[in-house]
Amino acid sequence: MTAPVSYRSTVGAQARDGFGRLLLAEWTKLRTVPRWVLTLMTAVALTVLVALLTAAGSVSTGTGEGTVSPARAEIFDMGHFTYRPLAGDGTVVARVTSQNGGGEWAKAGLMIRGSAERGTPYAALMVTPGHGVRLQTGYRGDGAGGGTGSVPRWLRLTRSGTTVTGYESADGRDWRRVGSVRLEGLPRSAQAGMFVAVRDAIEVERRFGSESVTAEPADTTATFDHVSVSPSQPGTAWRDRGAPGGPAAPVSTGRTLSGGTFTLSGFGDIGHNAFAHDATKTMLTGVLIGQTAIVALAVLFVTAEYRRGMLRTTFAASPRRGRVLAAKATVAGLVSLAAGLVAAFGSVLLAGPLMRSNGMAPPPLGDAAVLRAVLGTAALLGVIAVFSLAVAVIVRRSAPAITVVLLLLLVPQIVATGLPLSAARWLERLTPAAGFAIQQTVTRFDRAIGPWAGFGVLCAYTAVALAAALWLVRRRDA
Amino acid sequence: MTVAARAVRAEWTKLRTLPSTMWLLPALAGITLAVGAAVTGAVDTSHCPTPAGCREDLPKLSLSGVQVGQVAAIVLGVLAVGGEYATGTITATLAAVPRRGTVLAAKAAVVAGTVAAAGTAGVLASLAAGRGIAPGNGFTAASGYPPLSLTDGPTARAAAGTVLYLVLVALLALGVGTAVREQAAAVTAVLALLWIVPIITRLIGDARWQERLERLAPMSAGLAVQSTRDLDLLPIGPWAGMGVLAGYAAAALLAGGALFARRDA
Repeated sequence: MTAPVSYRSTVGAQARDGFGRLLLAEWTKLRTVPRWVLTLMTAVALTVLVALLTAAGSVSTGTGEGTVSPARAEIFDMGHFTYRPLAGDGTVVARVTSQNGGGEWAKAGLMIRGSAERGTPYAALMVTPGHGVRLQTGYRGDGAGGGTGSVPRWLRLTRSGTTVTGYESADGRDWRRVGSVRLEGLPRSAQAGMFVAVRDAIEVERRFGSESVTAEPADTTATFDHVSVSPSQPGTAWRDRGAPGGPAAPVSTGRTLSGGTFTLSGFGDIGHNAFAHDATKTMLTGVLIGQTAIVALAVLFVTAEYRRGMLRTTFAASPRRGRVLAAKATVAGLVSLAAGLVAAFGSVLLAGPLMRSNGMAPPPLGDAAVLRAVLGTAALLGVIAVFSLAVAVIVRRSAPAITVVLLLLLVPQIVATGLPLSAARWLERLTPAAGFAIQQTVTRFDRAIGPWAGFGVLCAYTAVALAAALWLVRRRDA
Repeated sequence: MTVAARAVRAEWTKLRTLPSTMWLLPALAGITLAVGAAVTGAVDTSHCPTPAGCREDLPKLSLSGVQVGQVAAIVLGVLAVGGEYATGTITATLAAVPRRGTVLAAKAAVVAGTVAAAGTAGVLASLAAGRGIAPGNGFTAASGYPPLSLTDGPTARAAAGTVLYLVLVALLALGVGTAVREQAAAVTAVLALLWIVPIITRLIGDARWQERLERLAPMSAGLAVQSTRDLDLLPIGPWAGMGVLAGYAAAALLAGGALFARRDA
């Protein structure tokens, strides 16, 4: 006679309600509805298709200079630069005696740079009518400085190794240090001299209920005296680099010298081009259409279960509702992310060559900002899917849920076109539509919010919606 | 009572007694008013060289809330038929009124009538709000902006056209809803059709393509009716644009009607 063995259920070992199982269950649900798989593929196809259409519709309206390299299109390196060689360490000094035209951001001052070629590193110390004495380098910001420096003003720029230091003075004896910058790779033989530059005058015009912003070249003139470059190299003459000419050149650009007084005229800015065309963002436009399919899919992923009563089975199988919600969000988010990766890379890889054949030069995929925009677009679709899913759990019906999500994502971008720029920016900062900022690769004049901050806004909305969904799904009957 | 009148009455009762559809009508008027007033309040003459140089289209500005308010009309149009498919009452409806053309026509009449009523309320309220707000923002009669009034021909055209726009959009949604039957798919399709093109237009650099899209897209073409100045510079004329939208709505209703007549419920 065998000893009685107490009964032990073997169900417990198999029927774990572990998170892995839940994920598998939700993935199976998504995968086995043919219509949903079709929707997912539609999202990818629509995105790529629209990318191709917009690329085909974008033709370079350039200045006849041929294909402009992407790095060059995003910056301005214009103005007028009068220079002579500076071998090794040395100093350039001048007094700016007058400044005419160009508004508060007209720039007149001294510059040291490795070569006169456009787009190369430089250090510039300048007087501006509205923003004081500033030391500027690179092509991103407006430089450091400020205060109330007004002409006449003495300026001094000193090079020591790769460091360039700027000083200013009211009388030429009592010097104040403005700041210093490092110019990596500054050759031993540099170019030093005076420059003038000015921002384009921005004209805002409202028509047809939308705002059009255009930039008109402005011009500025400044006079310099007591100019010296030391150590001076005998046998070298002053040379000039004006703005590129052509029929569009509005005014005389040039330099005159009379009795030690230099007069420089020029137009165009040195710095960032706030009107640059964001080719990468244009190529990724298709995601606006592709996302509608993703939104519909993520909403149906929840509301279909509510409608058919399937959710009761789901909750019976896995009573922890928070976990079910987490599993659904994870599956929807990851699947949309994957679709987004295919769509975004597909768009850029297919539309890029098309744009190049239209005479434009989209930056290569290896560019950090471009890669961020492409990967960010995929992440955007993932987050939008989770947001839609959370709204669907709150609303429980498909038509209102889809309407609410699309309303929040699309309408701010439509209404913004009818608003003045200042109001439109707030709309694009505070609504979930801010997430599309992740697609920016160029800092334009109408930028409302930084790429990551905008993405953060969308993530914050998603987190709030998920928290509300979690609270409601625990509280309500299924 | 004729069959058609009874069918219309039945549809009206269905629409009236469902809370989900009934609140859409005040929402339509309310959103149109609120967004229109907010947009009008955000625009002033400070960014123009002179107030007259703004060339602001005040009737259009006051009525811009329709771009958002139309959502309610779309959802109403889709729910009018999609809701019946979702709950299965469509079989009872067709048992009571077997002629499917009559059913769809009755639904269209009820949707059009209610949207027209709510739309008129929203449009009149928006114009009244614009009349109150605009002078405070510098758009005074002295600087060339007479107060908004329906006695002004173009303003009356913009107002009537906007109501017609809302009706046509609702009918477009009804047609798509009948053809697709699934609410989610129908709402997504109509919203995408209306909203996406204006956004894409903004991102396309080429002016020729922009104009082409604005002529062919239902929303930008249909809303051309709101313009009251610089008409010769519009991509498409006010009534021609309304014709484009009417074409979309008619095509959707015809496709929906053909499928409705052919398919099992």
